[in-house]
Amino acid sequence: MGAFGPMKTTFPILLLVMVRAVAPAQSVFEQRHAEVVRVASDERDRSFSTITAKLKTGNDVPYALAMLDSLTKDEAIGGMFYSYSLIGCYLHTQDLLPDSLKRKVREAYRTRTMYRGDTENHWVMYYTGLYLAAQTWPDEEGSRWFNGRSSSENFQEARDWLDHWITISSTRGQGEFDSPTYITTFMTPMVVLYDFALDPVMKKKAQMMLDLLFVDFAAEHLQGNYGGGHSRDYPEDIINPLAAPSTFWAWLYFGEPGFPPWVETRYRPRHRSGWEPVFGAVSSYRLPDIIYRIATDRTTPYVHTETKRVRNVIRFGKELNPPAFKYTYVTKNYILGSLHGGILQPIQQHTWDVTYVSDKPNNTIFTLHPFYSGKELAMFFPEEEKFLSDEVDRYHKVYTNPNKWNSSSPYEQTFQHKNALIVLYHIEQGVKQPHINGFFPKNLDEFVRNASGWIFCRAGGTYVAIYPLKPYQWMEEEVNWRLRSHELNNGFVVEVGSLDEDGSFEAFQKRLRLKKPEYSGFDSNRTVEYITRNGDRMKFTFGGERVLNGRHHSFKEYGFFNGPFVQSKLGSGVIRMKYKNQTRTLNFNNVSLVDTP
Amino acid sequence: MMKVKKNSQEFPLILRVEKRMSSWLVAVLLTGLVLSEPLVARQETVYMAVLNSRKHRIGALDNPTVGLFVSTDAGASWQHKGWTGYIRTFYTEAGSNGTIWSACGNGVLRSTDNGKTWRITTGGDVTEVLKVKVSPSSPKTVYAATAYGVFKSTDHGTTWQQRNKGFGKPFVADLLIDRSNEKRVFAATEEGVFVSSNGGDQWRVAGLKGKGIRFIAQDPGNTARLLVGTEEDGINISEDGGKTWYPSNTGLRHLTVYVIAMDPWAPAKVYLGTHGGGVYRSDDGGKSWTQKSEGLQNPDVHALSVIPSSSNTILAGTLNGGLYRSVDGGETWQFNSQEEAQVWGLSVR
Repeated sequence: MGAFGPMKTTFPILLLVMVRAVAPAQSVFEQRHAEVVRVASDERDRSFSTITAKLKTGNDVPYALAMLDSLTKDEAIGGMFYSYSLIGCYLHTQDLLPDSLKRKVREAYRTRTMYRGDTENHWVMYYTGLYLAAQTWPDEEGSRWFNGRSSSENFQEARDWLDHWITISSTRGQGEFDSPTYITTFMTPMVVLYDFALDPVMKKKAQMMLDLLFVDFAAEHLQGNYGGGHSRDYPEDIINPLAAPSTFWAWLYFGEPGFPPWVETRYRPRHRSGWEPVFGAVSSYRLPDIIYRIATDRTTPYVHTETKRVRNVIRFGKELNPPAFKYTYVTKNYILGSLHGGILQPIQQHTWDVTYVSDKPNNTIFTLHPFYSGKELAMFFPEEEKFLSDEVDRYHKVYTNPNKWNSSSPYEQTFQHKNALIVLYHIEQGVKQPHINGFFPKNLDEFVRNASGWIFCRAGGTYVAIYPLKPYQWMEEEVNWRLRSHELNNGFVVEVGSLDEDGSFEAFQKRLRLKKPEYSGFDSNRTVEYITRNGDRMKFTFGGERVLNGRHHSFKEYGFFNGPFVQSKLGSGVIRMKYKNQTRTLNFNNVSLVDTP
Repeated sequence: MMKVKKNSQEFPLILRVEKRMSSWLVAVLLTGLVLSEPLVARQETVYMAVLNSRKHRIGALDNPTVGLFVSTDAGASWQHKGWTGYIRTFYTEAGSNGTIWSACGNGVLRSTDNGKTWRITTGGDVTEVLKVKVSPSSPKTVYAATAYGVFKSTDHGTTWQQRNKGFGKPFVADLLIDRSNEKRVFAATEEGVFVSSNGGDQWRVAGLKGKGIRFIAQDPGNTARLLVGTEEDGINISEDGGKTWYPSNTGLRHLTVYVIAMDPWAPAKVYLGTHGGGVYRSDDGGKSWTQKSEGLQNPDVHALSVIPSSSNTILAGTLNGGLYRSVDGGETWQFNSQEEAQVWGLSVR
């Protein structure tokens, strides 16, 4: 019988008791936790997470053992995803494995091609796997390992790199930050590391990194959606936020959205996101209550800012890791969020959006310049500049597509203040794909293209107004209207409101119809001035200054984190969470974690 | 078959050339001259680094084998060595006594048993290694050109030290150890040609400041003569050991030059691998160029090797088109192997 066998029948009764006895969030988490493992144990995909679920529950064990056996034999499979998930599965289930299979698992770390990868998430997975494998089989010589290095050499290298990553991530941020897709590739290794690191300091660091990853997500989370700007995301997840793998983690740990990701066909969870959260569900890591509260209390709108870092710029740049500034405004109805613009990540950047609560899919609106260039890629990858675009297109499919929904562009910049945003474009002549795309879901409740120049959208209780500075056209597509503008000096003023803030949709429109940004000199000075419906004066020059109410808008004020729920000074290594009278302080300098009260 | 039997005809040329050749090349040539019959058995080994293949699909079980391939018959046939999966093998070069070095995404790999077993010699601080170069006379000294600069080992890869002093931006695509002075090392960077006169301890700009340099070659017959391939500016040549440079692009219509190969027996014969233009050849030491791409189905040539024992045999590695071979000095090309693969590097020992 699997570890969760008895819970299947007793859970409802237990739940009733626990709801009263302990924090409700925790008890309901345990229910979701068990549910993920149970459902995953019925899956038949060949993955270490479903094998783990089967073996943990005792469901379909012969099939799980056969799958694990095949995965250890098949030398075509290897690399960083394999490295951490094989050892994670092994360590969770080793008591249930026959000795012959244990030996095969061990042998895989000798015979397999373990590619370390070329991105942050790859390295986290690779070194987590190497750390735990070297810890599991210590004192073995180099001939017993795929890379010819001894257990102690591998352990030390993995430990040193993980220490480095934890330090930089807790002081300057992740390079692949706030990714609805890649969040899984950080969460999963960290829960496995937390569960099995024997060194109490590394275990503590893994716990603190999990807290950091979760609170980073929580502050920009709204009912399962990871709102605002993201370093990396896939187009299908950008236009359908609840389809992203982050939704699975939100459901598992925050209890939102209110349905398990696998039952909602509208959101078509990406297969690749798979069942990795099983490793979270079987983990002993528990989300601190304060993070749960931060993720779910939306009674008061708030501004949350962050500083992240650009992943390693290996050429054509001035700094290895320039800062990425992020501004997010969160209400109970919507999130309006933005990155400051420019190339902050290759290929998959998502610079800004408004994402709103809705019972319909495609609950987001945004614009972008679908830029691509070999030079952009060569900033981050060492292969030849003229070769990279085709190569990336082969894997990511849409990199050179003029209709793509993810892109970093040097010709796009933003300036946000609360629920108002100005996004400007200054696209040089001769740039490939010299146009701007805007995503507007077809399922909006109301969609008004007003003679005033404003485009008004209503989705439930959220209102979005967009003022294009230049002419555009509409293209009808399967789930959306595509705004397309070929004007190279261009921009949009965005205001977002709601029933709570503005009353009726008509009242919202009325407040904006007579408002118009001042941009008469835009083609020469690239400057837009706009007074928001709440009376704030924004002045923004592309490539120049951002001014709010006559005061220079300084990114220094963004901190590492700055908002009502999370505060941290950039570079300090100290992150303080706050919710009402609760606080939790992560101090990565001395690897300590302090809760109050 | 080595064609050193043409010695009788070309002997004067060889003698003339060897005066300025490195000791190792001289040794190779002398060995061939003195032991003409055993040369058949001593035929050179060619190392081919296959980075990836267009047939590769993430997670697929039938992905093509990539990585290091070795040929001992002038590229007619190949044997795979080492890991079969994708670790981004950019370049491989042989050292001495059965040692092989590979420049990989995972770091610098070393085999001391001719490729049977491998060890990653570098740690987490060394990644995206594009070239590895072994000092000809001090084989324990090895340099790695990486996206993060130059790393050097003087103990056969046991330890590595970063050597970036003097670089502005340290991306280094290629390295050249001067055959006449192994302390003198040239680096191909995104900001021009850099040179170190003390084995990498300190670098300074040697020329072509601001230009992206892809490849550096040294004339096999004249160590003061250097040729570089650039990202946008074709070929540049120095006749004075890197002090001054001049462009030499007559006839060259494709100015992104990834690789240069020179005929060791006839250094005036120079081959270029270009982006978009396939192979170019010069018969006058680089003064003028003629496109030589007949039969080449892929125009992006990233690796080239002239087979010393049969210098009309040329190998050309393409980006996504596999390996091509010419047996007539580049006049015509035939597909050889590695369908749809990215043959990133070739070297001969």
